[in-house]
Amino acid sequence: MDNTDLAQHISRQYDQELEDVRNRVLAMGGLVEDQIQKAIEALINSDSELGESVVLEDYKVNEMEVSIDEECSRILALRHPTASDLRLVVAIIKTITDLERIGDEAEKIGFLATRLASRPQISNRYRDIKHLGRHVGRMVHDALNTFARLDADEAFNVAKQDEEVDKDYESIMRQLITVMMEDPRTIRQVLDVMWVARSLERIGDHAKNICEYVIYLVHGKDVRHTKLREHDSLAEAEEHLKD
Amino acid sequence: MNTTWKTTLFQLILGLGGVGLLGWLSGYLFPALFLGALSLVFWHLFNLYRLDRWLTRPKRSNPPDAVGIWGQTFYKIHRLQIKNRKRKRRFAQLLREFRKSTTAMPDGTIILNEQNQIEWFNRAAADLLGLVGARDTGQRIDNLIRNPKFISYLESSDFEEALELKSPFHEDIQISVQIIRYGRRDQRLLLVKDVTRLANLERTRRDFVANASHELRTPLTVIGGYLDTMAADDDFPEEWKQPVTQMQQQSRNMTAIVSGLLELSRLESLKTAAPRQVVDLGPLIDGIRSEVMAAFPGKAQIQVKLETSAKLLGHESELHSIFENLITNAVKYSEDGGLVKVRWYLDSNGARLSVSDNGIGIPSEDIPRLTERFYRVDVGRSRETGGTGLGLAITKHALGRHGGTLEIESEVGSGSTFTCHFPEDRVQKPTHRAHLRAV
Repeated sequence: MDNTDLAQHISRQYDQELEDVRNRVLAMGGLVEDQIQKAIEALINSDSELGESVVLEDYKVNEMEVSIDEECSRILALRHPTASDLRLVVAIIKTITDLERIGDEAEKIGFLATRLASRPQISNRYRDIKHLGRHVGRMVHDALNTFARLDADEAFNVAKQDEEVDKDYESIMRQLITVMMEDPRTIRQVLDVMWVARSLERIGDHAKNICEYVIYLVHGKDVRHTKLREHDSLAEAEEHLKD
Repeated sequence: MNTTWKTTLFQLILGLGGVGLLGWLSGYLFPALFLGALSLVFWHLFNLYRLDRWLTRPKRSNPPDAVGIWGQTFYKIHRLQIKNRKRKRRFAQLLREFRKSTTAMPDGTIILNEQNQIEWFNRAAADLLGLVGARDTGQRIDNLIRNPKFISYLESSDFEEALELKSPFHEDIQISVQIIRYGRRDQRLLLVKDVTRLANLERTRRDFVANASHELRTPLTVIGGYLDTMAADDDFPEEWKQPVTQMQQQSRNMTAIVSGLLELSRLESLKTAAPRQVVDLGPLIDGIRSEVMAAFPGKAQIQVKLETSAKLLGHESELHSIFENLITNAVKYSEDGGLVKVRWYLDSNGARLSVSDNGIGIPSEDIPRLTERFYRVDVGRSRETGGTGLGLAITKHALGRHGGTLEIESEVGSGSTFTCHFPEDRVQKPTHRAHLRAV
């Protein structure tokens, strides 16, 4: 709160509107987190019923995106926000797009879980997928936390975790390729598992994007498409941006 | 009027009188009076200025020295200040003690204001939810606990029951949260408890029952199989016929109990709501009716009355077992030649299926415990009529998965009514045309 001084407005109602829409973004985030968790659980426990429920619930995420989007347009049109308020609205509009995509990826995993449930699990019982899923779920969770707390430094740290996710993804890919080469009859289902890993990796990317919007919101600096890995802290990265 | 005021008044009259007299004697009466009054105004103003300076000074200090009425005023303000300071210290002390004691509580406590913002929280809450002191004070609680279940709990105004969820801070911790309202400004207390151990115990129990039942099923199948062969064998010694028939019956009972337990643990472990297949109650209940009539020939008549052609959205075989359990019970506890009425109708918030009998009834103190597994109202009689003691427990769980509730009304001697309430979103109301066709 203290960073963007949302509390400075004379118009209390305006404040309330901004705070409400921020709160709804986080509620949407909560729903998306829940969807990711359920989708992974459905996959690991071969629970086709749970997987199906993830697919069926995706419409809720979409509905929330549309309604938050409308609310943001309304605020832009009526209130003409400036400075940090404008950045907040812009960050929200971008964040919900990413959240919606995460929801879609979760839906995809739910669908694949339903399809995979009827087949025997491949050798390592999705241990690595479970690990990757946990990591990615944690990342989305932390990204939303930084959005709630407007903590740019933490957002930077969370965004950097995406590299690890990418590495995990690559190693899963290599493993799956080995499995396919050993036993070509598994190719069909291994391909499905690959799509799951791919979706999880994409979720990691979207979580990283959300972190970047938080940094933009708090510091007013756009750190997209910069190489975060080269810097140890946000301050250093921003120093680099100035040059 | 106290003495200070009297003195002040006296001094004023004396002073002005003296100045007036001097002026009159020197021939400048009015200028002298004017100067006298002016100096009085200046004196008061000066003291007011000193008072103001003293009050705005940040640190506590002694009041300025003054005589007369001003001295008294300063002194009184000073005394008031001391009193207030003491009271403030006492309150601060109390508050500190109170917070210390709540901090020491093993359960997390969070104070929320009317906008659901965190006003204060204790150590346990910080540990369980990953809150950090200054950073999270003023933050809305639903920004941090984003679980959809929690958000709808917060929005509802029904805080009777606690809600269980995973801690947002650590996914291996299971917490139970409950909101308690207090105060005039709609403040709320959020209690957070660590129930990980309880949840684990509960899971262990569930797994144990499921595994044990599963392990028992295989030997039972073997025993039952041999007993069936023996019973069917005509060359079997006559004196063994009776024991074998009894063993056969008991092993069938045991199989039924084991299947019941397995069904119950399956229902308990399912986290999702029942699927929404369209189920037509007419054929379903007709089927159950003929099954039950065949199982208990000549016991009671079953009268089915479908007052609406509305359909249910649910799991067909679970609905089958719900209704079968209720109808079987009703017939079982009826006298010979009794009447069981099954009624399906709409009400203001959904639909109901009721099964009523004119049998022996249930004592009211037993009704709340009726859906516990293996609970028997009359141990002797239920052994006699057979049954696993799990039917109503299964009914309750399966109904819960459909968002429904079970209501039991009964009077000893005149019969019982079991009513299943189904919520509106599980009921597919007939369209107008379908309704006409049905009529």
